[in-house]
Amino acid sequence: VGKTATAVNLAYLAAQTGLVTLICDLDPQGSTTFYFRVKPKLKPKARGFTKGGKPVAQSIKGTDYENLDLLPADFTHRNLDLTFNQLKRRKHRLNNVFEPLGEEYDLIVLDCPAMINLVAENIFNAANYLLVPLIPTTLSVRTHRQLLSFLKEIRYDTDQVYTFFSMVDRRRKMHQDMMTVVLSDFDRVLQSVIPYASQVEQMGLYREPVPVLAPHSPAAKAYQALWDEIQREVFNEG
Amino acid sequence: VGFIKEQQFELPEDYDQPHLIEQLATDFSLEAGPAKVEKVAIYDTFDWRLYKKSLVLEGGGHRLRLRQLFDWEISHSLETKVQPVFVWDLPEGELRAYLEPVIEMRALLRLAQLQTNSTSYRVLNQAEKTVVRLTCEEVRLLDQDGVTLATYVRVKPVKGYSKYDKRLVKRLEGLGLSTVAADDVYFKALATAGKTSGDYSSKLEIQLTPAMGAAEATKVILRFLLGVIKVNEGYIKQDIDTEFLHDFRVAVRRTRAALTQIRAVFPEEPTQRFKTDFAYIGQFSNRLRDLDVYLLNEHSYRAMLPAPLDRDIEPLFELLRQKRSEAWQDVINGLNSERYVAIRQDWEMFLNEPPADAQTALNAGRPIIDLAQERIYKHYRRIVKFGQDISEDAEEKKLHALRIECKTLRYLIEFFASLFPAIEIALLTRQLKKLQDNLGEFNDLCVQQEYLLSLAAELPGEGPPARRTILAVGSLIGALDDKKQQVKGAFAQTFTDFVAPATQQLVKALFTCQRKRRPCDNPGFVQ
Repeated sequence: VGKTATAVNLAYLAAQTGLVTLICDLDPQGSTTFYFRVKPKLKPKARGFTKGGKPVAQSIKGTDYENLDLLPADFTHRNLDLTFNQLKRRKHRLNNVFEPLGEEYDLIVLDCPAMINLVAENIFNAANYLLVPLIPTTLSVRTHRQLLSFLKEIRYDTDQVYTFFSMVDRRRKMHQDMMTVVLSDFDRVLQSVIPYASQVEQMGLYREPVPVLAPHSPAAKAYQALWDEIQREVFNEG
Repeated sequence: VGFIKEQQFELPEDYDQPHLIEQLATDFSLEAGPAKVEKVAIYDTFDWRLYKKSLVLEGGGHRLRLRQLFDWEISHSLETKVQPVFVWDLPEGELRAYLEPVIEMRALLRLAQLQTNSTSYRVLNQAEKTVVRLTCEEVRLLDQDGVTLATYVRVKPVKGYSKYDKRLVKRLEGLGLSTVAADDVYFKALATAGKTSGDYSSKLEIQLTPAMGAAEATKVILRFLLGVIKVNEGYIKQDIDTEFLHDFRVAVRRTRAALTQIRAVFPEEPTQRFKTDFAYIGQFSNRLRDLDVYLLNEHSYRAMLPAPLDRDIEPLFELLRQKRSEAWQDVINGLNSERYVAIRQDWEMFLNEPPADAQTALNAGRPIIDLAQERIYKHYRRIVKFGQDISEDAEEKKLHALRIECKTLRYLIEFFASLFPAIEIALLTRQLKKLQDNLGEFNDLCVQQEYLLSLAAELPGEGPPARRTILAVGSLIGALDDKKQQVKGAFAQTFTDFVAPATQQLVKALFTCQRKRRPCDNPGFVQ
């Protein structure tokens, strides 16, 4: 649905604004890591995130861009669920990882795998805000409803959940219709819309964020508008 | 993780920079970024307040940046499109909060303007990922036909790829380049622009020796003060900030104090004449300084007012501003007057006259240490006696007189500080300053109260708005009175501290001849 593209582009734009930013690739597939031309590998002691601190910090790599660092993915992330399950405070493991990093970074962006499992619960507990891309299709909207009711079930504060439209094709009537439904049914839906665009797909080819590979494209403008809106509406700044 | 430090190499003059890049390109995959040009101005106050705190304030590319000397990391920065002058004109934020107590009411002056031409190179690994950054930077001084000040090569590591920056640093060292340890382009820039950091201070920097003849030593002091007068004079005419006049006036007052207090070192006639002359110079700038103080206090005055009246005070400040511009014109006229120019010339000639063979004045040939001890000790005793006469319900007049006495003592200590041990002088000055602050504040409040009362009659306009203004001024006078009572209440304790036995003993030890304080080559010095 464009999670990785969103995480990469927003993290890049945040770093450009001057925020010291860390993007964390929690997806075992490691697409974010690939976009930044970094090897998908953590220091052996950092694997499984059994503890935070030094091993994790030493796994961080600088990217090609000022103010933007990356915590690479690792193939062992595919078992993160099982690892966490065997540990104490199993729903709060990621807090240990990210809290010490909060001192060094103004913003930490987590690129999350698409599953509602123990890792996801860890992410909900560690993150201040959740930003959910939504393709305006029946199926996606249904999944989003599921997510929200799950969050309510585990008593997560849904005021921190924001949604925006992703991969939108305005020529399709169904997209238009679903957008109207979503806007009336859900709260905290951002105004900025990310269009379905070839530049976003090209990110994998050129391994660069959209604002770098096609700075004047509609997609780049859309991500910029989304980032501006996040600063304004979510972080309440400017 | 910690912050990864940049390494900086300085290239020798006329170093072939393109050739350097060519050489590096044989070992590293380099990709050049766009060339950048940035103009950077360096700011400080006239009395080097930033420099004295090892701070460098730079402006360029619509940003104002503050850093420590010898450090490239920017500690605070803010966005601004205008050239900074006063701290209160800067946008609110961390940088302003940091600068406020440092530069206070002084204006920022542009000391030098630099132009930096830089090209950044990315060193890539096999995946074409940036693993270390290299910047070539050439710094020129804009004001002097673009003289090149320095050329640097900077290596900026990328986190997680330390292998590469180590290799690059080694390569640069192999080419005979060395890292710059303790250098800052700031110094080179200012020196080339013809400025010497720290070359002005309102403090007295005088070095006397104990055996120096009193007349000669006094001339050393007075020549220093004349220097301060001359330096500030020109800037007063440009009306840059209030402190040029202030420093000018302090130097004039110190001159008068030296003429009066360091007795019988010069012949009677010129001494009397110059005393009158400097009194005149002080007078024509009294009004301007008073008005400057009111206007500098504007913020705290407004804070004293009750909320419903805070807008009604505006006409008062308008009147004060108008009066200030008249007073400034008076000072300019004074400085341009024939009398002033003549006084300055006579005075300079007098100070530069070679010492007469036969010293006519009584104390002229005495060692300065004798006279210094005598004068300071007598004055201190006088203050002790005088202060003890002031009862609990201290009269304003007596406090005022005591304030003047304390000021004179302070000047005497400052004139002769170099003759005595620095630590003891600092201790005594600190004690004296506490008392002076108390008396000074009391006096300021009295003067301000009276002045506001006298202004009430002059405030323009009729009808309800004007009446509200009168009300606001009245309320301000009330607030000043409350403060005055507080300050007065603190006098007794402050004075008791100043005449504590320990301080009295210190003064006796320093300024009487009972004990030998330091090796002294003065034959007349009684042990």
